Amino acid sequence: MNESRTTLDVTHLSRTIQTNGKQKTIVNDVSFSFTCGTIYSIVGPSGAGKSSLLRLINRLDEPNTGDVIFNGADYRTYSPNELRRHIGYLFQTPYMFPGTIAENVRYAAEDIDDNRVAELLEQVGLSSDMADSEVDNLSGGEKQRVALARLLATKPSVILLDEPTSSLDPTATKGIEKLVRRIAEDRCLIVIMVTHDPQQALRLEGETLLLVKGRLIEHGSSERVINDPQSDEGRRYKDRELT
Amino acid sequence: MNEITFVDVAISLALVVLAFGVSRFWKVPVQKEMSLGVLRAFVQLVAVGYALDRIFAIDQIWLIALVMLVMLAVGAREASVRTKKLPGAFWLAFSAMTTGTVVTLAIMLATGLFELKAMVIIPLIGMLVSNSMNAATLTINRLFDNLTENRLAVETSLALGKNWRQASQRFRIQAATAGMVSIFNFMKTVGIVALPGAMTGMILAGKPPLEAALFQLIIGYMLLSAVTLTVVMTLELMVRRFFTPFDQFSPPTRG
Repeated sequence: MNESRTTLDVTHLSRTIQTNGKQKTIVNDVSFSFTCGTIYSIVGPSGAGKSSLLRLINRLDEPNTGDVIFNGADYRTYSPNELRRHIGYLFQTPYMFPGTIAENVRYAAEDIDDNRVAELLEQVGLSSDMADSEVDNLSGGEKQRVALARLLATKPSVILLDEPTSSLDPTATKGIEKLVRRIAEDRCLIVIMVTHDPQQALRLEGETLLLVKGRLIEHGSSERVINDPQSDEGRRYKDRELT
Repeated sequence: MNEITFVDVAISLALVVLAFGVSRFWKVPVQKEMSLGVLRAFVQLVAVGYALDRIFAIDQIWLIALVMLVMLAVGAREASVRTKKLPGAFWLAFSAMTTGTVVTLAIMLATGLFELKAMVIIPLIGMLVSNSMNAATLTINRLFDNLTENRLAVETSLALGKNWRQASQRFRIQAATAGMVSIFNFMKTVGIVALPGAMTGMILAGKPPLEAALFQLIIGYMLLSAVTLTVVMTLELMVRRFFTPFDQFSPPTRG
């Protein structure tokens, strides 16, 4: 799967939810084509639908309209479980299953051997000696790295990262960013990362999608979308976030 | 024991007076609840006594079935109230309790251990239904709390490609254990801490203690079967309501 170039397209994706008896469109007619080897940052004010868009792509939620086309096929042709092994999702707060680091890494890939576990831990910047340690004593940054190793164990072609550094200190944040860049380049993955910090999008380079009220307002190189937005909403976002 | 009359009950009211006096003396403000409880218990039990007298005299299968249906419906309603308005809790509890009660009872009747007589079957149904009701209530509440409080754990499993059954497994096991804890505790302490109701009743009625103990054992095994079936059915019927057909977590909300 990873040998061929992964493609991911979302077309006219929308989701409406019911809150307090009212209909609210949280993702509104979003269309975009993602290509492998690129990091896509999704930015926008809170409530813009950034995380909701990721959840739709992973099919954790169902869209009201629109399609996700993964490697040329409608994602509904995959079983949800198979799809999610190809399209991995990293939550903002990493959940650790009770047990050791190795048990967590093996959670969704039971058949991998000790060498592979060690390799994955090294890949995310953790010592392989930690494999048998209990997860309880890990720092936030370490937990996020274990969660990433656990995700990579299923060999996904697409990785969805939902503000993975929001609760980390600057050093741990930079470490995760470096790691994400390396993984995207080495394995030609599609990496889509939600961030509330436009500076992070600039550091990750790649491309940025700006969402406002569920709509895709602008997209292009991170440098261009963040520093030189073309739309009124984009300029307002820049003024609010960068000044 | 001699035949019990209303006069005997009136004499036993001396104990109520004692409880009333003691609580009043120690300024524990429970006299109102106590009076209400004493009155309610009297009315309910005497009414049931008269009703069962008639039902046992008629002794028809349709009447036994009707009594069982009423007991199950009342039990399921109580369970749904105790599950704090979880939508569909009545039918969930009713289906699970019916399975536990009917299957257990059918097996006992098939083995010939009990006769199909109202006098034998109705008290058994009462025990099965009340234990099943408690088990269903505990299971529903624990599963609901476990799944809703552990959304991140469940969605992390789903996002890693696990199906709804795998993602909820740990929480289903915890809920099953919670639902069965009463029957396990009962079996652990039975005969040591307390003599259970059926056994006590038989001994008071003049039966030899060993016979009473053996009868109580059969009752205990019946309760274990009914409770286990109820818990398993409750989990099976309930857990699916937390997930869409596409393995998406979508918990029901309490009304």
